[in-house]
Amino acid sequence: MKSWNELENSSFFDANARERALGMVDKGTFTEFLGPHDRFTSPHLPVLGTAVEFDDGTVCGVGLIGKHPVFVVSMEGKFIGGAIGEVNGAKMVETIHLARKVAKEIQEKHPDDYAERRPLVAISFETGGVRLHEANAGLLAHAEVMDAIQDARHIIPVVAVVGSKVGCFGGMGFVAAATDVIIMSQEGRIGLTGPEVIEQEMGKDEFDASDKALVYRTTGGKQKYIVGDCNYLVEDKIGDFHNALADVVTIPMDEIEKMRRIGSQKLVKEQQELVQLVADLQPGDSMDLWKHFGNEDPAALPNMTTADFLKVVKRRVRP
Amino acid sequence: MDEEKTMIGRGRDAIDMIVDKDSFVEGKIGEFELDPEYGPGSVVGTAKLEGQEVTVIANDAQAFNERFPVVFGGVIGMEEAYKMANAVYDTIAADKDKPLSEKRAIVLIVDTPGNGPGKLEEIAGMNKATGSYQLALAEARKTGHPIIAMVIGRAISGAFLCHGLQADQILALSKDWGVMIHVMPLTSISRITKMDIERLEELSKTNPVFAAGSDFFYKLGGVQEIVPEPENMREYIIKHIAEVKKLKAEGKFELLGPWGRGILGEERGGRTHRIPAIKKLDEEFAAVSDKYINA
Repeated sequence: MKSWNELENSSFFDANARERALGMVDKGTFTEFLGPHDRFTSPHLPVLGTAVEFDDGTVCGVGLIGKHPVFVVSMEGKFIGGAIGEVNGAKMVETIHLARKVAKEIQEKHPDDYAERRPLVAISFETGGVRLHEANAGLLAHAEVMDAIQDARHIIPVVAVVGSKVGCFGGMGFVAAATDVIIMSQEGRIGLTGPEVIEQEMGKDEFDASDKALVYRTTGGKQKYIVGDCNYLVEDKIGDFHNALADVVTIPMDEIEKMRRIGSQKLVKEQQELVQLVADLQPGDSMDLWKHFGNEDPAALPNMTTADFLKVVKRRVRP
Repeated sequence: MDEEKTMIGRGRDAIDMIVDKDSFVEGKIGEFELDPEYGPGSVVGTAKLEGQEVTVIANDAQAFNERFPVVFGGVIGMEEAYKMANAVYDTIAADKDKPLSEKRAIVLIVDTPGNGPGKLEEIAGMNKATGSYQLALAEARKTGHPIIAMVIGRAISGAFLCHGLQADQILALSKDWGVMIHVMPLTSISRITKMDIERLEELSKTNPVFAAGSDFFYKLGGVQEIVPEPENMREYIIKHIAEVKKLKAEGKFELLGPWGRGILGEERGGRTHRIPAIKKLDEEFAAVSDKYINA
């Protein structure tokens, strides 16, 4: 295991779930819940002859950024694609509920400096959604996560952190969209339907899943940043994600609410305008949309470094 | 041979079978009007149930959305999902000054095979559309509106997540009516997990966590009660709205919605590890909480 200092300078994309969990919070502050020593594994996988993992593929726990407790959920894409089942789903749900309950407790104990202590939830998504081996339990767990996010609204920020190999797809694509703040690297991807399924539905001429550049232009961090679906676009270093979270902990809740993309009727109307634009424009590629938002040379954007991209990019203007 | 019994594709018929005779008004909720031409794969409006106003949200599997051609056969596309979300927010707004006991019910009639899978959908963000409908339903549920989902046909994966799984209670027609509740058919699970189809079929007879059907979801707590025949839908929905209202009046919100289904899943022996995992996690945090609460 790398030291915390090494982790900060390591690639987020290449890091495993535990490295990300440790490195997203301050040095030496992370405590894991239901970690590998507990061996709290899925009861459903052995029935199907599938190997279990002692943390059920998701690292949950709490650390600190300053005095802010940061409740972390971090998914491991190498274990069944980071998919969610009964046990890791329950871990994820309860970690969010705990953060909300702790916020109330801190508010009572530290009313004077609560702003410096307000908790936060950081979810590092690396998942295709429901774990098919226990699909029904996984689906029900997804609904509980959405419910927990709605409970946390206006109390604590729930932050999606996306920059890992598998991306964030399926039912967890809804969950990421439903968070307050989204932090991505350009290597991150968020969507609902994965590229292979789109190809299967629409044909290879319309969408070639093996065309990596096309896949990134459709659901990658830069596209999400342009459309307004991610709030921060950071470099692929664990420390950069940590720094972005350190920024979010300081933002007042009414400002956090303004960073959302869905979750109120006003935002629904705003998204309907985007849907209408897509219906009118019929973009064959996300670059058509980028051009519409004022990027004169959209083809140059994918190859830029994150720093250069951030200097020149024109984003969708929110009403 | 008898004709196969099914309600699949009959979302609009189901509305008429459930609500007071000729009471459904499409596209109108309180003082708000919603364009029926927009998002044609979903039907929203107001009806009466025993004289009380209810919001109805259903799939129309006969409709085709010409702006988004992946939307047909009950698929929930972006327009459909935002229309459904608006219907929920309009319902909240219509009753915003009313006390808890007078918040109108929302009845979801579920027959959907999935969300829009396409390039345009991914570019604009299909995940936001259905995510926003889920958040709207969760907000309405927590505000006090009783929400009952009635599965009449297909309740598949992500589409069921947005149209059904945020309800207070979920009812489903019996398996005799060809109801399908699942994430993926066994053939697809077999292909993706590389597990033998014969073995999966054998296991699916007894294992509720991956097999399809309303009986299995019942065992997991995902379905509150099975409705034997379509003509029973109305009485069951009325009964469950009353039950939900009573629980909300008593402040027992935790017995409803996704969390309540978790409790039911343990009681029925379908999800035995969820609650122990939650309890253990709480204990482990309690052991270190001081360090984080008083940092």
